Amino acid sequence: MSELLMYLTNGIVIGVINAISAIGVSLIVGIMKVVNFAHGELYIFAGYFSYHLSVSLGVPPLLAMPLSIFLIFLIGIGMERTLIRPTYGDEMYSLIITFVLSIVLQNAALLIFGPYPQKPPNWVTGAMNIFGLYHYGNQRILSFFISIGVLLSIFYLIKRTWFGKSIRAISQDREMAALVGVDHLKVNMLAFGLGAALAGAAGVVLSPIFPVTPSGSSSVSLNAFIVVVLGGMGSLKGCVVGGLILGILENLGAAYISTMYRHIFGFIILILVLVFRPWGLFGQKTQ
Amino acid sequence: MKRTVFLATLMMFFLIGSWAWAQDTIKIGVVGPRTGPAAATGKAFEEGIAIALDHINARGGVLGKKVEVIFEDTGGVPEKAASAFEKLATRDKVPIVVGESHSSSALAEIEVANRYKVPLIICEAWHDDITKKNYRWVFRAGPVNSGVVDFYIAPFVKDNGFKKVAIVRENSDWGVGIAERTETNMKNLGIPFVTLKVERESKDFYTELTKIKGENPDIVLAYIYGTGLHFFVSQANEVGLSPKSLILDGAGPPSLWDTFWKNVGKAGEMELFMSSMHEKVHLTPTSRKFWEDYKKKFGKDPTDYKTRSIYNVVLIAVDAIARAKSTENEALVNALEKTSLEVTTGVVKFGLKQGTYEYHQWMPPMLVVQWQDQKQVVVYPKEAAMGALMKGK
Repeated sequence: MSELLMYLTNGIVIGVINAISAIGVSLIVGIMKVVNFAHGELYIFAGYFSYHLSVSLGVPPLLAMPLSIFLIFLIGIGMERTLIRPTYGDEMYSLIITFVLSIVLQNAALLIFGPYPQKPPNWVTGAMNIFGLYHYGNQRILSFFISIGVLLSIFYLIKRTWFGKSIRAISQDREMAALVGVDHLKVNMLAFGLGAALAGAAGVVLSPIFPVTPSGSSSVSLNAFIVVVLGGMGSLKGCVVGGLILGILENLGAAYISTMYRHIFGFIILILVLVFRPWGLFGQKTQ
Repeated sequence: MKRTVFLATLMMFFLIGSWAWAQDTIKIGVVGPRTGPAAATGKAFEEGIAIALDHINARGGVLGKKVEVIFEDTGGVPEKAASAFEKLATRDKVPIVVGESHSSSALAEIEVANRYKVPLIICEAWHDDITKKNYRWVFRAGPVNSGVVDFYIAPFVKDNGFKKVAIVRENSDWGVGIAERTETNMKNLGIPFVTLKVERESKDFYTELTKIKGENPDIVLAYIYGTGLHFFVSQANEVGLSPKSLILDGAGPPSLWDTFWKNVGKAGEMELFMSSMHEKVHLTPTSRKFWEDYKKKFGKDPTDYKTRSIYNVVLIAVDAIARAKSTENEALVNALEKTSLEVTTGVVKFGLKQGTYEYHQWMPPMLVVQWQDQKQVVVYPKEAAMGALMKGK
């Protein structure tokens, strides 16, 4: 029984973490119809920034985190201005560009940061005994609550603010939104920056648990895409539910079916969703 | 006047010509992962090659020529490894290739080596089949799964009286091979064990570790390579598995990377790992020379023992070329079979009896090392031990 609870707890924690990583992808897909293949690399770079700011430059970790996210936000804006903006109207171009960019950034990370796994300092150490049933890492528990905080603020930003309203307007009808005075280029740029910053947020929150390596980015991107397809392209709620489903299923599958095929469960869901409900759980069915 | 100019020009051509002649080099091919999950091995290889080349070229190279290395990246992927080897054999036309640290890549490379008849000396890919296939062109001067398990891991488990063993293995050729050999040994010794298969790319091991904890083993034999091992060790401590159950890193290098202690924190205490190198264990004068040369060049002590493994195989290749007095493949294989060369880990002599993995195989002595107060303490084999094994409570 305590083992089952442990698997569920871990599934939920990893699920929420999946969600913040995926929500950045979903945001960019929803608004700009751009699939950002370099999402995982932004995550990895945020981890490295956070590590080098706090370890090499001595910035306090709590300051290094938002600083790294801000740097990634700037990189995201730079990417949009230089690489993505010229491709508007042709989804294939942006797909190819972000794909190439992901390879370039991965190799750049190897060149700049080296091949060894790096990890920013933990905020807390040790593990907690939960209800006397099982031990769970303190850093994970803290990351879980921070992730929930990040999710809540994103929901607030999108649902309750003027900026969120213009984002939603553009994702529904770009021309109409432009007609009524929304500066769609600026919103695109900020939304891309925000999506990148979310990858960064996932990176800084997670790197103390899972140290970053240059090659670790592909699995981050892949997980994010599975969650986005499962939840529905562009749906924020879908990201949360999709992330949780993936996290719990992977943990229970690994526990009761086989640890060897942990990641296959994700792909099975992906295929099932694509076959039976290609628009995802919360996505909108297009004609 | 014209004659003087003509002679001067002729002299100049001659000089340039002889200079160009002196620049002619012997190229040795190297295969190994410079990118991908084990890119750290590529870094270790680069360092080892640099020291070996300094050493060899300072002595005047071989056959009167300087030695040069062409290092092709395999990314740890068999397809890339095969084409990397093919490139070295056909484009660069190297007479001999050394290196590799992934069994799956090595198993792809030996097929190409066999096809092109290019001698290959493997240093750190442990799968039995690499030499068990008995290819005439393939040699290995490094650990082999069966040797590591039969002579070190299994006796270590037995001699320390461990009552229950958990085997965790990644889904790679190395992981599968070494785990199967361990299972056979545990069965023969009558020691109960459980085996858990994990994915090579896994980051989160909580589920796996909780399952192992339920089995309550005395020791966990972790056959996981790369970053995954850091995750495994730190998470094992979080879920309360270690230090009550000890963990043995069956490969070694990840426990020695500079970032190990930063990544695992106090969970690294009492962790065990396999190694063929220790600061205080110098089996030959070459070992001492390597250590000093490394410190001089890089300003720190060597950590990853694969730096030394690649250094050894470069020396072996150059020695074979020198004795063969040629770079012709048949002559090189004949010379390699007669190798008797002191390297950092002993005197290399390749096995010649066909039919088993011992053909064209030479294995260096290994050590089981434990982290005690962040210091490396050799705990096995007994004749090399520097301290007693610490067990957790």
